[in-house]
Amino acid sequence: MKRAAAGSPPAIVALDLSVAYEGRPALTGVTFSVPAGTLAGVLGPNGAGKTTLLRALLGVVSHTGSVEVNGSTSYVPQLSAVDRTFPVDALGVVLMGRYPRLGWLRAPRANDRRVAAELLDQMGLSDRARSPFASLSGGQRQRVLVARALAQEGEVMLLDEPLTGIDAASQEVVLRVLADHCADGHTVCMTTHDLAQAARVCDRLLILDGRLVAEGPTREVFRPEIIRAAYRAELLSLDGETALVHHGVHPAP
Amino acid sequence: MPPPFDAPYIERALLAGVLLAVPFGLLGTWVVLRGLAFFAHGVGVATFPGVVVGLGLPALGPIAGSLAAAAGFTAAVSLFERDHRLRGGAVTGLVLAIALALGGLLLTSVFRVAAPVESALFGSLLAISGADVVRCAAVALVALVTLVLTGRSLAAATFDREWAGPAGLRPGRGDVLLLGLLALAVVTALPAVGSLLVSGLLVVPAATARLVTDRLAPMQALAVALCALETVLGLALARTLDIPPGSAVAALAGLGFGLVAAVAGLIRRARHASRIGAGA
Repeated sequence: MKRAAAGSPPAIVALDLSVAYEGRPALTGVTFSVPAGTLAGVLGPNGAGKTTLLRALLGVVSHTGSVEVNGSTSYVPQLSAVDRTFPVDALGVVLMGRYPRLGWLRAPRANDRRVAAELLDQMGLSDRARSPFASLSGGQRQRVLVARALAQEGEVMLLDEPLTGIDAASQEVVLRVLADHCADGHTVCMTTHDLAQAARVCDRLLILDGRLVAEGPTREVFRPEIIRAAYRAELLSLDGETALVHHGVHPAP
Repeated sequence: MPPPFDAPYIERALLAGVLLAVPFGLLGTWVVLRGLAFFAHGVGVATFPGVVVGLGLPALGPIAGSLAAAAGFTAAVSLFERDHRLRGGAVTGLVLAIALALGGLLLTSVFRVAAPVESALFGSLLAISGADVVRCAAVALVALVTLVLTGRSLAAATFDREWAGPAGLRPGRGDVLLLGLLALAVVTALPAVGSLLVSGLLVVPAATARLVTDRLAPMQALAVALCALETVLGLALARTLDIPPGSAVAALAGLGFGLVAAVAGLIRRARHASRIGAGA
């Protein structure tokens, strides 16, 4: 287990990053950096530009300003982007993570299959390796997609809403694996709507609302006034559970 | 060859049919998994203006004319489908209508050729030449090699396009390759099965195979085997009953799909009932 050495260059640097879709701004003037070896959470309300930020980091949307990702990337898109009916089993999906390194001529070798099987085991799915992807639960599918990203062996992993719509047990597995991945010196940047989980597991937070509201270590950023500014809602904490209470939305008496 | 395959023209038909089963089964798998059935139908029918021009200009010939028309159709559909507002086959329908209108105009007002409409629409497996068989073999080889080499990228991009691009698998390049191969295979098969029945051979065996398996490689192998089997049986039926072979092959493919769908439905129902019984 190793963490990135102190003083090493940041894994992600964005300077005055702006993205617009057909003239409509999605992100404006975002500047931040993520140190290597950290788990960064990207928070913000719907339409805040979280997915757009990841797409800019991946280089698949045109932008102004500069973005620098030091090292190869691996990616977990939103679960809803996947064709769940495609005829492939869980092991086959994880093996896809090895395809970019294989090129056209080489088929996956025994080592690739061993790595894929180990990653499925790490995700607690070794008994589902030969199960069709379509037959898995939402949480199991998400774990398979995270295993596919791990199989890419990128230095910086970007995840879009990996905790959305999955069961608590799968969330725990995903978060544990991501924490271990960071402890091994990799950098993880994930978008999420789950404020409580983000506050609990992330080293750093970026809070977006079409622009950068705040960024920095979690303990400095996860503050009521900052959350209020981004979400236009109050942060309510009861018995360890965190919830957002939106202004003007009150239950009927 | 034993009866009913005991004539040179039947042997040629048999050979062409079995050779075409390779690209049709392999490409048909991607047609079914990517929802390209309407495009596959469209590219065959849209060769009409190319056939007319090819017949009107003997130096060009109908095959080169068909290929040019199929390439133009493929390029136009690929280009205009980049507009996300025109998804779901709208562009294919639009370009198909333009191609048919253009073919009609060329036929009646420019070249005034006697277009063999029936053979263009339904083809004739029994009338194909030795050169047609050679073309079928070449396309089978090209499709087999290309799809084996690109199969992994195509699979990853079909399963999760959002991931495949950033992962460096270039899904756009796979799209162009797939549509190009599809156009090539369809044009090659036109003399044998015609523009109306060609999509049946592309879609139906692969769709039947999809009902049987949840794995890609077995689906592809089964689609090729079904396509070959249905062609052989269709030819035997056509020779024995003296009916058009293209129609016999397409009808058998449809019948095969119906049978497999019925059996698969029964099996699914039985499994469901046994699960409920075990849970009670």
